[in-house]
Amino acid sequence: MSVPRSRILDLMKAQCRIFSTTFNPERLRLGNKVLRQRLRGPTLAAYYPRKVATLKDLQNLYPTFEVVNDAEEDRLNKIKVAKMRGKGAPKKKRTAAESKKFGKKRGGGGAAKPPPT
Amino acid sequence: MSQFRAKKLDLGCFINIRVIRDHTKRKVFAEHEPERQALRYIIRNTTLPQRTRAQAQLQLSQMHCYTRGTQIKNRCIMGGKGRGVFRDFRLARFQFRMNALAGNLPGVKKASW
Amino acid sequence: MAAPSYLRSPFGALKRIKISPPTSTCQQRAGFNTVIEALKDQEHDIEKLQELAKERNIKIDTDAPPALDPETQAQVSSLRLPRSVQAVYLRPLRRAAQHGIPVCDLQLRTYSVRNMEFFADFALRAAYYLNLPAKGPIPLPRITERWTVPRSNFVHKKSQENFERITLRRLIQIQDGHPETVRVWLGYLQKHAYYGVGMKANVFEFEGLDVGKDMEAETERQREGLEEKLSLFGRRTDGMTGEKIREILSSETYQRTAHGDSPMMRK
Repeated sequence: MSVPRSRILDLMKAQCRIFSTTFNPERLRLGNKVLRQRLRGPTLAAYYPRKVATLKDLQNLYPTFEVVNDAEEDRLNKIKVAKMRGKGAPKKKRTAAESKKFGKKRGGGGAAKPPPT
Repeated sequence: MSQFRAKKLDLGCFINIRVIRDHTKRKVFAEHEPERQALRYIIRNTTLPQRTRAQAQLQLSQMHCYTRGTQIKNRCIMGGKGRGVFRDFRLARFQFRMNALAGNLPGVKKASW
Repeated sequence: MAAPSYLRSPFGALKRIKISPPTSTCQQRAGFNTVIEALKDQEHDIEKLQELAKERNIKIDTDAPPALDPETQAQVSSLRLPRSVQAVYLRPLRRAAQHGIPVCDLQLRTYSVRNMEFFADFALRAAYYLNLPAKGPIPLPRITERWTVPRSNFVHKKSQENFERITLRRLIQIQDGHPETVRVWLGYLQKHAYYGVGMKANVFEFEGLDVGKDMEAETERQREGLEEKLSLFGRRTDGMTGEKIREILSSETYQRTAHGDSPMMRK
């Protein structure tokens, strides 16, 4: 004995009402999958940590107050020591010619060496 | 990119032009995601007229590439490196190793078994 | 070789200690009856301290309290600590569950054992005092995450280093508890949460068969208060797609595609 289709549809409608699902008896592609997808914009946008207040900002805000920045002082001491030893940073080459002069000389001298036998 | 880049930098991690670009892409993606999802829905809904769906397809393809989620790449927050980045820590391999040995990563220790 | 004492759990030691009458502890602590004696023992300059105390109007008791007669002393020494204080030195008490129906599963996760042990102990004691039958702490399998990373910052793939992160887990299950009491217990644990311990609780509530009617009545009651609360919310992220769809479909170009004389009109 066959059940009329309308009965089956009524049953499906009741099921969908009770369980809060979508009623789609003809199995049409309605694109509801896209609606169900969770939006991941905010989580991706929060990947990089935002700017926080640093001791440098504090120094800039209150220039008259004494702010002790240990890391900065260590860095400056290291540079001072290196300079005293004569190992400080080299001078900045202002023109392209100055920067090329020494590099080319060393390259030419190296190429002139005879290969080992 | 110039139309999307923020006037004031709001990053606290390692700053690099690549990191800035990636951060801009992420913000733009978060802003336009609902619109993209809406267009995708219109394209996939077979009950809408064909022309509407075609129009939506065209509009989606014409959106700026920064709105696409596929352009986003996880970079290392300490070195700006794009390759070898672990998701759990947002650090590239070498930075991960240096921080793990220094004890900056909670619970991570040298394994031996 | 036995584990060093600082790694061995103090809670293991609990099982072995006897609760001695408070005499011994009292005597130990009452080694110095006055501040002066304690300071004398440490060779401080007492006169200077007394002068300083006079200046600042602080009272230091200079004389020892009057000695008690032997009867009273015997009574005082035989006093016991309050039961709840004694209970702290022993393993936590448990309530017996009548039906054994789980009501709440609390999972604790840490990278280090000691603070989780301590917090689990604390949670069990709190459950006892709230009359909640608690089962636990049941150790769940450890989670080990491993990473193999080249030692160098550039090439040299052949020399790598292994790192791991072990997450230890404990489960405390509350059976046959009143839902309100369970909420109180969870709130108490959240208020006094210990550092380094992550908590996740799954709470099961039971309703009668008329749950549908109850829920409808509940929503009706809450609807009035809900509107004003919802207005305080900004744009809800998950509702934005629907709004966007409506916006796009109602825009001019799309309206023309739906009704009009343009190509691809018929399906």
